[in-house]
Amino acid sequence: MAGKTKLRIQDLAKIREKTKSLMTIRESEGRARVTVHMGTCGIAAGARDIMDTLLEEIGKANIPDVVVTTSGCAGLCNAEPMITVELKGQPPVKYGHLTPDKMRKIFVKHILGGQMATDLVLAVGSETVY
Amino acid sequence: MITFRMNGLEVQAEEGSTILDTAKFYGLAIPTLCHHEGLTEFGGCRLCVVEIGEGLRSKLVSSCTYPVEPGLVVRTDSARVWKSRRMMIELMLAMAPGSKVLQDLASKYGVTKVRFAPRDGQCVLCGLCTRICAEQMDAQAIGFQQRGHKRKISTPFDMRSEVCRLCGACMYVCPACQLRCQGPRAETALCNACLAMAPSCLEHYDDLQCWMYDAGRCGTCVQDKKS
Amino acid sequence: MKQYRTHLLVCAGTGCVSCGSFKIKEALEKEIKAKGLDREVQVVATGCNGFCERGPIVMVQPDGIFYQLLKIEDVPHLVEEHLLKGRPVKKLMYVPPAEKQPVPKMKDIEFFKHQRLIVLRNRGRIDPEKIEEYIAFDGYEAMGKALSGMTPAEIVDEITFAGLRGRGGAGFPTGKKWAICAAEKATPKYLICNGDEGDPGAFMDRSVLEADPHAVLEGMVIGAKAIGASKGFVYIRHEYPLALKRMEIAIGQARDNGLLGEDILGTGFDFDLEIVQGAGAFVSGEETALIASVEGRIAMPRQRPPYPAHKGLWGKPTVINNVETWATVPNIIRRGSDWFQGLGTDTSKGTKIFSLVGKIANTGLVEVPMGITLREIVYGVGGGIPDKRDFKAIQIGGPSGGCLPAKLLDLPVDYESLTAAGAMMGSGGMIVMDDKTCMVDVAKYFLNFLQDESCGKCVSCREGTQRMYEIVKGITEGKGKESDLDLLEEVANVCKDASMCALGQTAGNPILTTLRYFRHEYEAHILDKRCPAGVCKALIRYVVLAEKCTGCQSCKKACPNDCIKGTLKDIHLIDQIRCIKCGACKEACKFEAIEEQREEAIQII
Repeated sequence: MAGKTKLRIQDLAKIREKTKSLMTIRESEGRARVTVHMGTCGIAAGARDIMDTLLEEIGKANIPDVVVTTSGCAGLCNAEPMITVELKGQPPVKYGHLTPDKMRKIFVKHILGGQMATDLVLAVGSETVY
Repeated sequence: MITFRMNGLEVQAEEGSTILDTAKFYGLAIPTLCHHEGLTEFGGCRLCVVEIGEGLRSKLVSSCTYPVEPGLVVRTDSARVWKSRRMMIELMLAMAPGSKVLQDLASKYGVTKVRFAPRDGQCVLCGLCTRICAEQMDAQAIGFQQRGHKRKISTPFDMRSEVCRLCGACMYVCPACQLRCQGPRAETALCNACLAMAPSCLEHYDDLQCWMYDAGRCGTCVQDKKS
Repeated sequence: MKQYRTHLLVCAGTGCVSCGSFKIKEALEKEIKAKGLDREVQVVATGCNGFCERGPIVMVQPDGIFYQLLKIEDVPHLVEEHLLKGRPVKKLMYVPPAEKQPVPKMKDIEFFKHQRLIVLRNRGRIDPEKIEEYIAFDGYEAMGKALSGMTPAEIVDEITFAGLRGRGGAGFPTGKKWAICAAEKATPKYLICNGDEGDPGAFMDRSVLEADPHAVLEGMVIGAKAIGASKGFVYIRHEYPLALKRMEIAIGQARDNGLLGEDILGTGFDFDLEIVQGAGAFVSGEETALIASVEGRIAMPRQRPPYPAHKGLWGKPTVINNVETWATVPNIIRRGSDWFQGLGTDTSKGTKIFSLVGKIANTGLVEVPMGITLREIVYGVGGGIPDKRDFKAIQIGGPSGGCLPAKLLDLPVDYESLTAAGAMMGSGGMIVMDDKTCMVDVAKYFLNFLQDESCGKCVSCREGTQRMYEIVKGITEGKGKESDLDLLEEVANVCKDASMCALGQTAGNPILTTLRYFRHEYEAHILDKRCPAGVCKALIRYVVLAEKCTGCQSCKKACPNDCIKGTLKDIHLIDQIRCIKCGACKEACKFEAIEEQREEAIQII
């Protein structure tokens, strides 16, 4: 969705359904969705290096079914840099206190291998939205 | 006309006037420093504060800037007001002890000690000079610089002004530059000498001899030096 | 205390919410009430338990039954069969898999489980630079509703009934402010978003602007309809470059998609926004100073009345609200004032974001319901004090707020309780301090900040903060006198009373709260010339203990200022005049032969 299109209220509902299905991994074509948290806290802690490492590894492994996206601060600022990995059929997993090495480990074990890197996991699931 | 209460009296004022205007009209004395009839209100010296409202919701506001409202309840001389006024005088004296205007205010309101380290400055940052220069003399040659403890009044970038016409209005209106006290020089930041005035000339003459000059000019009536 | 016989736990984690779990929750509540079961069955929203691919999930306790993949049409049948007749609905059930991996669930982690996200609901799950992701999570739905289906008076009423209070610090009822401005006849009317977050240690507004800028935009458009404004300004301090960038992108995308500008969503309503950058002053967060700044004048507060809602920007009616307040508005319009009333206390509704920093294990941003106690925040969400140190104080509300001691940890967090205790909700900065923090030093820090940031107009504030700083500095340097404490209190009280704006009116708070709750620390500094926390350098000396010194020279090598004399195997000596009290020698010594001592405990050798 780009360019200058003046939306109407019914358009909002259409965009909502379409984008939601892209974002919720269960219905989209991707197999995995990785969000790198890049608020000021994340960037200051080194999120850009983590992003670079992730993209590098995806490039080397040459897998087209991983969606990489960014987001803002996830709230637990002292655990930055953080990423959220969501595989189809599994709950989202948050990893914290990352370094490029840990990123590589998670890439191999979780994103490629489909198994949570349990020793690096911060939490499983999502927050309560009121 | 707007009706409200001041010191328990019912008073009336035109819309758009301030509490200070009304007080002056009714003859209630409220001290001011940065207020000048020909200039816009500033509300910086906080000497003119009065207490408005009642009970827990009462608060102090500067009467020179507060517009009159129907139903307002004003007290010009409550204990809280006096405490603030005295502290303002004390704080300003600690900035510029050489100002006669401040020394007189101190004597009038019973400020007998300055508990802060005096800075031998000559400006209390009341802004009268900047306002008279901008509003009456149309020059805008001087203004405030910086904020907080670095605040000062100067020309832009401290450079020699091209628009200043050397009219002297800023000096004329400055409370710290006004005619210094002609009495004996005080040794500490606070003089208060005129609090203890006892004119000796009245023992010999029927009239006070300094009626044409500032009181204390001959220096004989200040009997007790402040201890 | 109501005793419910059954609880229905509806998952409100991201996955389930995006599949409509809120609508299921509302349908359940409605159906339960219709069947007269609302005294026996309670419906509760919980965090994600991990079974996201099977959502929406509802768990029935104490039966321990999982219902999954629920649709709204299933609700009446479910309520009738399971809750009324006691027959669980097999076709909707799910048997949870056995726990194979011992990983912590978000809903069980202390930091996350106490939080209730309203303003931060999109945190971590959308890309703020993609407007369609904001729309995916019900973005702009409230705006559509407000512009096409509600009158301005109805919008103002919703906000008023919800009980939303300004989140910038003063807590003024937002609906009331909007009503006052809506009643004004002069045009054009303006809206301003106050993003000049100046409190040291606070970054709530920055986070919202960076992570979810569209929430603020949507709130402002709704507000514009409510009061009849045609133009709005988002004032962001220039120290927030990422927030400025993201907001600019968001405004651009909203304009491109007809969600901002002329004829929004084809409803005929016009409203546009402009970003204004701050110029680096804390005082420009004060509303009249901010207005002056937008007008291009120096940021100095002016007397109120007239209040900005009557006469604000360029003399026209203006509503100024904080970033968090604006971001809450779309949620209230979308889900109703009744929903908002369900969280918080009687006088303080909804949630508040706090930036929890300082000596705390879990540093970060927390959005918690009003009424939560300080203890729950510090020890629950915050995870307690690290390094096994003791809690000493919590500073709330930035330089305008105050420090509260351990005995007030059970205070509920709401506007009235905090003000009564001498602190202030403020914008939401919470700095936790342990026993190695000197409260006199903390007061000194805030006074230094205030004396710098005072605009300088009022003698009471400008001179008051300078003189208070002078006196407290003297106390930390061992020059304090007994009369200082009374003088400090007097100046602080007059500064509060006589100043024109909120900066000056709260400038006395750091002194007043620390004197109220930690007077003994001041007295120790003045009477004993001792700093109990060991922070004030002038009041401690580093001395070599002759009986323990082995002459190993480690301290001499560590000293950055050449203060230690001594040859190998000889007892070393610290030159007290050169010593800068950095403590490097004590750290370097392996024999515990260097001691921090009080000034007067020195024996002259």
